[in-house]
Amino acid sequence: MTIKTDYEKPIPLKNQDNHPYWDAADQHELKLQKCTACRSFIHPPGPACPSCGSPETEWELLGSNISATVYSYVVSYRPFLPGFQHDLPTIITVASLDAAPEVKLMANIINCDAEDVEIGMPLQMTWVDITEDRALPQWIPAKK
Amino acid sequence: MATYSNQCAIVGVGENKRSRKSGTTPLHMALTAARNALADAGLEANDLDGIMNYSTGADSCPSHELATFLGCHPKYVKDVSGGGSSTELLIADAVALIEAGMLNTVLIYRSMNGSSGHQVGRGYDPNMLQEMLSGGSFLMPYGTASPTQWFGMFATRHMQQTGITKKHLGHVCISFYEHAQRNPDAFLHGKPLDMETYLATPDISSPFNIHDCCVELDEANAIIVTSAANAKNCKSKPVFIAGMAPRTTHSNTHYWTQVDEVAADYAAAELYRSAGVKPEDIQVAAIYDCFSWVVLRQLESYGFAKRGEVGDFVADGNLKMGGLLPSNTAGGMLSEGYTHGMNNVLELVRQLRHDYKGTDRQVKNCELGIATGWAGPDMAGAMILRN
Repeated sequence: MTIKTDYEKPIPLKNQDNHPYWDAADQHELKLQKCTACRSFIHPPGPACPSCGSPETEWELLGSNISATVYSYVVSYRPFLPGFQHDLPTIITVASLDAAPEVKLMANIINCDAEDVEIGMPLQMTWVDITEDRALPQWIPAKK
Repeated sequence: MATYSNQCAIVGVGENKRSRKSGTTPLHMALTAARNALADAGLEANDLDGIMNYSTGADSCPSHELATFLGCHPKYVKDVSGGGSSTELLIADAVALIEAGMLNTVLIYRSMNGSSGHQVGRGYDPNMLQEMLSGGSFLMPYGTASPTQWFGMFATRHMQQTGITKKHLGHVCISFYEHAQRNPDAFLHGKPLDMETYLATPDISSPFNIHDCCVELDEANAIIVTSAANAKNCKSKPVFIAGMAPRTTHSNTHYWTQVDEVAADYAAAELYRSAGVKPEDIQVAAIYDCFSWVVLRQLESYGFAKRGEVGDFVADGNLKMGGLLPSNTAGGMLSEGYTHGMNNVLELVRQLRHDYKGTDRQVKNCELGIATGWAGPDMAGAMILRN
């Protein structure tokens, strides 16, 4: 991956609840929050489990080989944020993880034509280095 | 049901002229809307003992300030942060306070410079949502900052699963635009829409083009609620609140983990139970229409067409005058104007009072109507009104 220094798009803000996710992303890995009590995944991460309300949570490393399928998507033809004017149309998807279909991760599908996207399409996670020390998880079409 | 059962009524409705650039403040517009609603009801400002409003990101004026410049001193004011189901939910609050004997007459308003001021539909500050929502950092880096994209994510999957096509979305738009041509106050009056034009219009965010999105304007609306007993002293014909239901489901940041269910699905049963009526009894509708697809999804939720048959229902002209469920008869938020749901309720009240009698705008002999609110897939509020 090339290092981009002129990155105009919003950079994910790390906070108390989400920093393990983004710290792992910077290392090109997927880490998800999980409820210690009911074992549900929690995404987006937060201060407690939305399934059972338990404040006891932990983090599970899922590694770098992440596959998923398109659960739903939109193709955006207008930029609503800085940087996206260079990147139209933008494909945005919520993808259902193959390893945990109840977890849906939103990201762009890159290296893909808008007309080729459909629900159920297989995806592979990739990480785009957006600054010297930050990386953004993205989806690319997976070979069948 | 003791709770609603026609114990309260809407006795006044009023608005401020809608425009792209009001040149004035939400306070000025709210005052005009409130005075028009008072005149409609034949009430004085001092008759109000409650005033409530909702706003998004402080885009309105506070109730206390409105009271000050109406020259009245209500017992109770309430300002909530809200959106597309707040009209119905604040009316529910008013009913509860009136039923409890705490208040007699409540004015509810929504005032916003939705075009010249803060625009809901055209994106937010890049870091604002990241900081405001716990899940914001999972949206903004991907360019996901517009309701067209957020709602489109629900629409794409629902359409794929139920066979709804782009053309079906077009039928919703065309039906409402047709109504706007009979309403000189509709913002898109004089701008009819046909299917060829609709289908040739490029998308903003799939599956929505500009016609699928509400018209963001500067506007204020006001509604006055009072007890059925007080309503007898009003100048206007009362429209009774027959039933009501609130509902939330997913939390906002967990929107997309389950796009197959929406809050309206769960509000419907309670709504009809509270009013003691069935979907087939409803003769006129105000369906929340921030986007065309939202109408289709709610027609399914509220039992007007079965899942998988909603597209045919609208293609057959059932939303138009003379159809099974004439809806958004002033043009709706897609073509009359957008005040976060309230203008559609004003129109429903006017239909049920038969204000348009003798014109082609009047739904014939309508006695029972539904108003639905949709703050998002996660939040709904709906009510049934009768004349």
